[in-house]
Amino acid sequence: MSKKVFSAILMVALALSVAFVPAVAQDEVRWVGADDLPVSPLECPEGAPGAAMAEEPMEEPEAAALEYNGGQPVGAPDLAGQEIVLVDVPKLIGIGYFNATSLGMQQAAEELGNVKVTTDGPTQGDIVQQVAFIEQYITQGVNGILFAANDPVGISPVLRRALESGIHVVGYDANSEPDAREWFVNQAEFNGIAKAKIDSMVAEIGPEGSFAIVTSSFTAPNQSRWISEMWAYAQKCYPDLKWLETVESAEDQNLAFQQTQTLLNKYGPDMDGVFGMSSVAFPGAADAVAQAGLCSPDDAAADVAAPDEESAVAIVGLSTPNQMRPFVENGCVESVVLWNPVDLGYAAVYVMRAVVDGTLTPESTEVEAGRLGKLQVVNGSEILLGPPFVYTQDNIADFDF
Amino acid sequence: MTATTVSAARQSAPGWFKNLRMLVSGQEGALTLSLALLVIVVGTANPRFLAQQNISDILLNSSYIAVAAIGMSAVIISGNIDISVGAMIGVLATISGQLSIVPGMPVWISWLVPLIVGPMIGAVTGFLVAYLRIPAIVVSLGMMSILKGGLILATGGVWIYNMPPEYKLAQQSFLGLPVPVYFMLALTILAALWMRYSPSGRAIYAVGGNKEAALLSGISPRVVLMRVFMFNGLMVGISSVLFATQFSSIQSTVPSGLELTIITSAVVGGVSILGGTGTVIGATLATILLRAIGNGMIFINVSAYWLQAVQGTLILVTVLIDLLRRRRQAAQIRG
Repeated sequence: MSKKVFSAILMVALALSVAFVPAVAQDEVRWVGADDLPVSPLECPEGAPGAAMAEEPMEEPEAAALEYNGGQPVGAPDLAGQEIVLVDVPKLIGIGYFNATSLGMQQAAEELGNVKVTTDGPTQGDIVQQVAFIEQYITQGVNGILFAANDPVGISPVLRRALESGIHVVGYDANSEPDAREWFVNQAEFNGIAKAKIDSMVAEIGPEGSFAIVTSSFTAPNQSRWISEMWAYAQKCYPDLKWLETVESAEDQNLAFQQTQTLLNKYGPDMDGVFGMSSVAFPGAADAVAQAGLCSPDDAAADVAAPDEESAVAIVGLSTPNQMRPFVENGCVESVVLWNPVDLGYAAVYVMRAVVDGTLTPESTEVEAGRLGKLQVVNGSEILLGPPFVYTQDNIADFDF
Repeated sequence: MTATTVSAARQSAPGWFKNLRMLVSGQEGALTLSLALLVIVVGTANPRFLAQQNISDILLNSSYIAVAAIGMSAVIISGNIDISVGAMIGVLATISGQLSIVPGMPVWISWLVPLIVGPMIGAVTGFLVAYLRIPAIVVSLGMMSILKGGLILATGGVWIYNMPPEYKLAQQSFLGLPVPVYFMLALTILAALWMRYSPSGRAIYAVGGNKEAALLSGISPRVVLMRVFMFNGLMVGISSVLFATQFSSIQSTVPSGLELTIITSAVVGGVSILGGTGTVIGATLATILLRAIGNGMIFINVSAYWLQAVQGTLILVTVLIDLLRRRRQAAQIRG
């Protein structure tokens, strides 16, 4: 008899789930999966539907700019224009990503001619080992230290000691506490990434296309920040884009695959694109679209291409080139949004040179960085690398990380 | 199902009704009915749920979980548990993927090796549980940490790419259904027959139900437990190949919570967490039901947060029913 009770309870449990349908209608003010922090959407590109409407000038970022909040070295020798010796201590060495930043540093050093930079660091992303490496270089004596911190708090004391010993300190990729370094080269801001993602999606599905989002979790800080900025930017520039829904996929490629399949089945031809919000969700979503044979027939290999452009589904996201290489090579994914780590390392050396030469001071609002042009000062003591880099079929072969 | 309910039904009902009643009163029956109800409710709300592609996707995504749940069911029926299966799938998938990208390596080797390494890991766990009498939860907890840590050390978190096209077994289909679905069906039927009709299969129930009684009837619990953990390793090995061959890249970190999904499938499938009862058919049906709930919720716009609540409810209800049934049986024996 208890079995009958069980079946009854089972059915009630299922019916219960159906009863809650109206409770989770999508919120129009704040898209599901977005956070509720203030947003700062960037300017619309030329020709975007929202570009014409933005008649009144946007509030300039300078108006709300933070005071310089970096630290300063004590009694650093004046080496303006002279040869300087730098050491670069990344999170770890021997991986593609930091090989790329290191390459950019060598390119900058070669261009400048009066900089010598060596990369040295732990073979594992371990803060204790990283601190030991920096200690050693303080003792040994260098003119400047470049770092990408394994831990923002853990690295700060040793960097402050470097500043006290008259050594210049500039961070990139992963920050310390602001007063423990003079400047930090910030690879990407949330609004920049959001703009690049929406622009890439619009390039594929048009300004009135529809898309869904596969995120890691509704509360993941980075993903929800991006979704917030994407929503704000799309509201401003592409108000006719159709936002279908956001689904979660944990940090699990398989779940991202399953969730994307479900979205494909649910919306059919009514869905033109999918955002894979994390480096795990993106390949999972791409596999689902490829295995359903829904990649854009213009570019894709025959075995993954959709029968016609109408039914094709675009996939856009943020990930590393290695992770997305199979999909970019078979044409299923047209653009992978990220920054360029070669440029990041390159910029870090130019910033260090400018600090030593006295051309980048706490009062500066921009800095000259060789082939990258002028880079903006943001958030008090950070240098923004510029708009994100988009990896495509044409350039992805140059990167290995 | 107890003898009393069956005989009571026999006395009071016509033949067709009796058969229906037997079906409904089993765990498999309850799961089938729930699945049917789900299909009707969600299918009515959104007919696209019933599209052939969606049904096929639900079955495909159930397959690797269901195959692992077969092994887990045997382990739980024997009165143990193995929480290292998620980590095992991660490690075995990585081994398989790494082998597939070795130049000149025949593809069948990368499919076969997990089926050998899986039972070897199972044998270690089984030995510690059966011969050294360390509780299975402790042994498999240790095994999970070793495998997870070892995987990160060995791969450095780097994903595997560029597997050859012929490696991708799980992406093939046959007569309109993906290949993993056939693995799920065939292995479920074979394991069900083995555990129901062969002496070595029945011995698992005997050991899980009452170790002393099993010993007295000439069964060696140690041998049975070794066999169960190695069988589990084999199922996990097959599951890991289905998992690894599904994608263009293999995630080198262990998917978190995979072991809980597998254990949930077995428990909701009616495998008693106290050992001794349950079937792999129930476990497979439960896997499909849970996957269909997760899929169906998106179709009717129910937040994913409810999925966990529903799963949790199903576990608690199943365990509660099991306890009530045992208590009643005990009362009957006493009375």
